Amino acid sequence: METNNKENVCEEMVFTSIFKANSTTVFNYIYYKFGNEEKAHDAVQEAFVKLWENCGKVSPEKARSFVYTVANNLYLNVIKAEKVRLKYADKSLKTTHESPEYLMEQKQFQEKLERALDQLPENQRTVFLLNRIDGKKYAEIAEMEGVSVKAIEKRMHLALKTLRDQIHGI
Amino acid sequence: MQENYLAKWLNNELTEAELAEFKKSEAYASYQRILEAANTLEAPDFDMEEALLAVKNKRIFKDNTKVVQLAPFRMFLRVAAVVAVLLAGAYLYLNSLNESITTQYAENKQVVLPDNSEIVLNADSEISYSKKKWDKQRNVNLEGEAYFKVAKGKRFTVITEGGSVAVLGTQFNVENRRGFFEVTCYEGLVSVTFNGAETKLPAGTSFIAINGKMINSDAPETNLPSWMNQESSFKSIPLKYVIAEFERQHNIMVETQNVDTDQLFTGTFSNTDAHLALQSISIPSQIKFKFEGNKVLFYAENTP
Repeated sequence: METNNKENVCEEMVFTSIFKANSTTVFNYIYYKFGNEEKAHDAVQEAFVKLWENCGKVSPEKARSFVYTVANNLYLNVIKAEKVRLKYADKSLKTTHESPEYLMEQKQFQEKLERALDQLPENQRTVFLLNRIDGKKYAEIAEMEGVSVKAIEKRMHLALKTLRDQIHGI
Repeated sequence: MQENYLAKWLNNELTEAELAEFKKSEAYASYQRILEAANTLEAPDFDMEEALLAVKNKRIFKDNTKVVQLAPFRMFLRVAAVVAVLLAGAYLYLNSLNESITTQYAENKQVVLPDNSEIVLNADSEISYSKKKWDKQRNVNLEGEAYFKVAKGKRFTVITEGGSVAVLGTQFNVENRRGFFEVTCYEGLVSVTFNGAETKLPAGTSFIAINGKMINSDAPETNLPSWMNQESSFKSIPLKYVIAEFERQHNIMVETQNVDTDQLFTGTFSNTDAHLALQSISIPSQIKFKFEGNKVLFYAENTP
């Protein structure tokens, strides 16, 4: 802890390591929210430039929530969410023994899922994708969003429920 | 089933019983399917190195823009400071600037000072004095020649490069040309300071110094300098000063050839008639002259 206290975000090394640990998540986080890559890039820029400007005031432990807060506030009520386009890792290629029908059906299901994700409320989609793609724990997402873990669980629950309802046309 | 059981299920937080119950439900398979599909999802590409570079560049850029933003104000301050200094300097300069009166070649001027003292400036001369300080000290700087008629009052000082003249109230003439310093007192008492030594000049006496050396001179016969009567008078004065005076009075260039300009000249020439003046100079000095346009050449009689 003592060494931690001496660390300063203003130091190039510390700043770079914080950037490497969090920039991708910040990018994804904003992308899941608004479906706009350019805006997500800008959010990363803005958040970390702000972090640098305030490096004297923000301790390394607080840096993570600082950048999420900045990124979050940047587009607060400013931009309208666009269509979130996600890629699918081509895992099917490795399993060539699958029948074409199965692959076809799989593709259709993915398209349905994609549409359903797009229909989700922004906060549910963000929680779902952060958890599923980025492997973020509920507690971490709660920190990003500035809400309780329980609220995140609620969003996750609703996200899954809504996705199923959408995909199965209920 | 507990609240948000789907979220708990993902987090493996369901009890055995709950999990068993959930697995039995028809929804379980479809949720499982969704998760499987979701597991193949990927976020858009994010080039972290590039983004880090961009952040660092932007940081530098922002630092720079900050400077740029501040620059106009700093620039304004700089300009304002310069303007302030200039204004203050100009004010002080103009305030301390002396009144200055100059005459050209072949020109005389009469000047009345604030205390009604009169100065008559001979040709190619300049006086300057401080109007502001006139009440405190009556100091006049002189270059050239001038006649002073000083009103009674405080000490009146004429400062020249050659020496200074101090009076209380009198009439006197001061001439200070290159290497030539002459003071003639016509009325009252004049104190001449020359090379640190003070000489009292009573009325009707002259003080002459040529090249820093005092020269004895006879008292003037007139009660006004001759130049004020459109003549220039000399008594045992080296010819070069006579010629210089001629140049000033007539605005004519003079050249000499084989002429000893150190020979002493006594006499008077006219300040109005150049031809007459040339004769007045050349005949007693036994030299000849050629007068062409605006130029005069003096030459010795035995040379062509």
